[in-house]
Amino acid sequence: MLLIRLAIRNLLGAGLRTWLNGIVLSFSFLAIITTQALLKGMYEQTSNAMIAAEIGGGQYWHPEYDPYDPLTLQDAHGKIPIKLEQEINTHQAAPILIIQGTIYPNGRIRPILIKGIDPEQEVLNIPGGTLAQDIENIPVLIGERTSKATGLGIGDYFILQWRDANGTFDAQDAVIVQVMKTSVQSIDVNQIWAPLDRLRKLADMEGEATIVVTHKDFKENQPAGDWIFRSQEYLLKDLREMVRSKSFGSVFIYMLLLFLAMLAIFDTQIFSIFRRKKEIGTLMALGLTRGRVIKLFTLEGSLQAAFGAVIGAVYGIPLLALFARKGWTLLESTDSYGFALGEKLYPVFTIGIIAGTAVLIFITTTIVSYLPTRKIAEMKPTDALRGRLM
Amino acid sequence: MIKFILKGIFRDRSRSLFPIIVVIGGVMLSVVLYSWMKGFEKDIVRANANFRSGHLIIMSKAYSGNSDQMPNDLAYIGCSDLIGDLNNEHPGIIWQPRIRFAGLIDVPDENGETMSQGPIVGLGADLISPSTIEPDVLNLNGAIVSGGLPLKAGEMLITDELAQRLNIKPGQTATIITTTMYGSLTTFNMVVCGTIRFGIAAMDRGLVIADIGDIRRGLDMNDAAGEIVGFFSNGSYLAERAESVAESFNMDNSGSGDDFAPVMYTLLEHSGLAATLKMYKSVSGVLISIFITAMSIVLWNAGLLGSIRRYGEFGIRLAIGESQGHLYRFLIAESTLIGLFGTIIGTAFGLLFSLYLQEVGINISSMLKNASIVISDVLRAQITPTSYIIGFVPGLAATLLGSSISGIGIYRRQTSQLTKEFEA
Amino acid sequence: MRRLIISLTLIVSAFLLIAPGKPSGDYILRKVDENIGADSKTSDSKMIVAGGRVTRTIEFKSWIQGTSKSFTEYLAPAREKGTKMLKLDDQLWIYTPQTDRIIRISGHMLRQSVMGSDLSYEDLMDDAKYAEMYSAEVIREEVYSDRDCWVLKLTAKEEDIAYYSREIWVDKERFIPLKENRYAKSGKLLKYTEVQSVSKYGSRWYPDKMLFKDALKGGKGTEFVIYRINFNTDIPDYIFSKASLRK
Repeated sequence: MLLIRLAIRNLLGAGLRTWLNGIVLSFSFLAIITTQALLKGMYEQTSNAMIAAEIGGGQYWHPEYDPYDPLTLQDAHGKIPIKLEQEINTHQAAPILIIQGTIYPNGRIRPILIKGIDPEQEVLNIPGGTLAQDIENIPVLIGERTSKATGLGIGDYFILQWRDANGTFDAQDAVIVQVMKTSVQSIDVNQIWAPLDRLRKLADMEGEATIVVTHKDFKENQPAGDWIFRSQEYLLKDLREMVRSKSFGSVFIYMLLLFLAMLAIFDTQIFSIFRRKKEIGTLMALGLTRGRVIKLFTLEGSLQAAFGAVIGAVYGIPLLALFARKGWTLLESTDSYGFALGEKLYPVFTIGIIAGTAVLIFITTTIVSYLPTRKIAEMKPTDALRGRLM
Repeated sequence: MIKFILKGIFRDRSRSLFPIIVVIGGVMLSVVLYSWMKGFEKDIVRANANFRSGHLIIMSKAYSGNSDQMPNDLAYIGCSDLIGDLNNEHPGIIWQPRIRFAGLIDVPDENGETMSQGPIVGLGADLISPSTIEPDVLNLNGAIVSGGLPLKAGEMLITDELAQRLNIKPGQTATIITTTMYGSLTTFNMVVCGTIRFGIAAMDRGLVIADIGDIRRGLDMNDAAGEIVGFFSNGSYLAERAESVAESFNMDNSGSGDDFAPVMYTLLEHSGLAATLKMYKSVSGVLISIFITAMSIVLWNAGLLGSIRRYGEFGIRLAIGESQGHLYRFLIAESTLIGLFGTIIGTAFGLLFSLYLQEVGINISSMLKNASIVISDVLRAQITPTSYIIGFVPGLAATLLGSSISGIGIYRRQTSQLTKEFEA
Repeated sequence: MRRLIISLTLIVSAFLLIAPGKPSGDYILRKVDENIGADSKTSDSKMIVAGGRVTRTIEFKSWIQGTSKSFTEYLAPAREKGTKMLKLDDQLWIYTPQTDRIIRISGHMLRQSVMGSDLSYEDLMDDAKYAEMYSAEVIREEVYSDRDCWVLKLTAKEEDIAYYSREIWVDKERFIPLKENRYAKSGKLLKYTEVQSVSKYGSRWYPDKMLFKDALKGGKGTEFVIYRINFNTDIPDYIFSKASLRK
């Protein structure tokens, strides 16, 4: 206890130098935390967006369904297993029927997926409400990317061709009723959304679906009939891998930031020991063992880290809280397309990140503070008293 | 006077060693951090450039409007002339024709009849000519799982996942089924020479890569290509140069009104990367400024420490009659020299380390345990002209600031007190 | 007695032809089937595909037996020469000399365009009789291409038929379709065919030059020319075997 009081007093006595070290440590501390929080935010935000708009609590796939092979779609539809029907009736799941279609922008054939979704569904965050229109033409919702690729916008009519369950050609005029802006590419690129009931009728696939998306709180993971369950984890695998590989690059930056802070601590410690020889000698002469003197100096160093954390907290907490609330604006313009996502990146600060970083910095600082103090062990109190080092 | 200071610095190690070491360390860290952040930025650009857009990309006007559909019927014909002209006009850019196509791969049984079949996306690129850069650009060596790269015509790489699904191994022959640029059905046999994995599901699912010569023969695309990608020969994307090359190229080729006239796009235009890059630049800008500020504080502190360390010396020098102003100027000059030395040596070390990180890099494939290899499994730094000067900000300016603040103490010392101080 | 039958037949057919009541659609359709259909056909033909950049001519020889077996050998252009296709029911195999392989083409591929033309493999190999697939009704009479025609509206009898309905313009005298529109279930026009010339082969008239056009797609369409056709010839069975693909 005495040592701690002494260490604090010494630290405060050093004035400007302590403040400078504290500020540097607080910078490193906050920069590491923020970078981690941004990465975490990126992952959570993207995965949340995917969960909300595409994955839900996992998907049941028709046994023939293969998202990477559109040719298989011809057979990838069927009656929904009864077990899932119950979930659908209680709004715990939403069926999606996917068939292959063709559109003809500028006279060129362009294959496109037609996805049927219930406008009333509450499972996915897809603005399908506008599809609930009783109009002659097929009301269609597309994403911004498809809108750009095909040149189709709200109110545009186009011919949509498909083949029904029997292979009979059918074609109708469709009209774009909404263009949605979404960060989730896989509900946008090369596809159009139509009302489920209408698509089922048009495709002669009454009561059928290709996949059934469960509500995001759905807990079960058993197959339903011969339909295969694809868990959230399975469907998010690519994203996880990507974020993981990105985070390796940032580890190097944490290391540099730590080095920087340690450079400051190391220099300060070397200086302290050099400058305070007489003090060390006096302390030893007063009966403090070398071990205790080493402890005192190491403690002074580690307290720098604690001091850095306090300084960091003083300006960091309001700053980061503001950051977490306001987010990072990624795009200049926000527009009124259905739902807006991914325009801002919100860092996610967790206790784990903050505590982990604090422990990391504290331990490193302690080690770096200790290293120069070994010189003290080699001192003779008599020499030290006379201000002589070795 | 400089000579005198230099003598002092070299002979009195306690006066010079620590401050210089600290400056060297700080400057080195700054240079490495800066280069690393630049390397990261380059990595974002590279992943897009290497597989999609090049640093510059040329397509026929008609193709560019539908490029996501890989419309080879709209491909540009007359690549060798065009590339010849480009080589004359823009030395320092390497142009490579590429063809993308969709189709099927068909694996025969022992009677030569279909055993298994699957959809593919094909990429034809120059893999076998002696001077080609494509295998490096596409990181094929890093992606190889079994077998090896195509060494001669008639060989192809397929993804490991595809190979397993179709039950085919390197050395076996399979047939590619697709359409020619004129719309005819076409089939051609290729030997699987190796299997690859990129760690991106959409690619790993069914990518086939073969030499463009084979693909041209197979798709009846003599001297044609869907895309001609250009890479700056130093490997980095130079935004301004790219813009001016594209602008002058499009000026020269816009007159005809021909739908098949070539159009050039820069990486940023074609990939839609501009927003991502802008965001990254602001993140890295903030990080670099935090770092440089922090480093400056450290070096300021070091300068502070340096002067306090020599409290006694200054006392004696004042006592024997040196004027305070002279001493202060001396201190400033000395720290300038220390800062300069430290910065030069630190920058040199930093550049050396960055060069290592640029050329060798950090291989993270071993860290991604039995998961997949990413497109670029080696993280690298990138040395830019700024790397050479970034260290001077903390190295020289901060050291100077530190000693000029701490040096003020000299004026507070009173000659009458000096002898007393020494008794203490 | 025989004369009586002949005259009766004449009267009946004359009655059918000119009497105020038109012949039934189904009757006309059967007549068309009789005229253009045969137990077997062998033919040499070419397709002229007008692409965006070049116009290509594809020549081929076909052997068709009934409605389920067909064999095609491509003769030109050089790239396609020697390519052979065998269709048995809904299965298709392709042999190409470049690969020396017999490749099975899945049902999905049958819906793709043949050699970049406006015809799909299905269209090309669809040789089922009209009357088997459709019920017909005469909707009007019209002069088309200087010929008196009945315009028939065909509606699919079964579910698994590619085109739910068609309209055909049938030459009143020769019983051959001179124009055909193919419609989606919704009634939207998808494809059309226009006969540009007809020739007489023995006792029957047969269209030997026509234009196919995908109505939704841009472009000039595909021209189809038959220069030789034989009906009801004996085609040896081995033609319709996988072994003949390699031959």
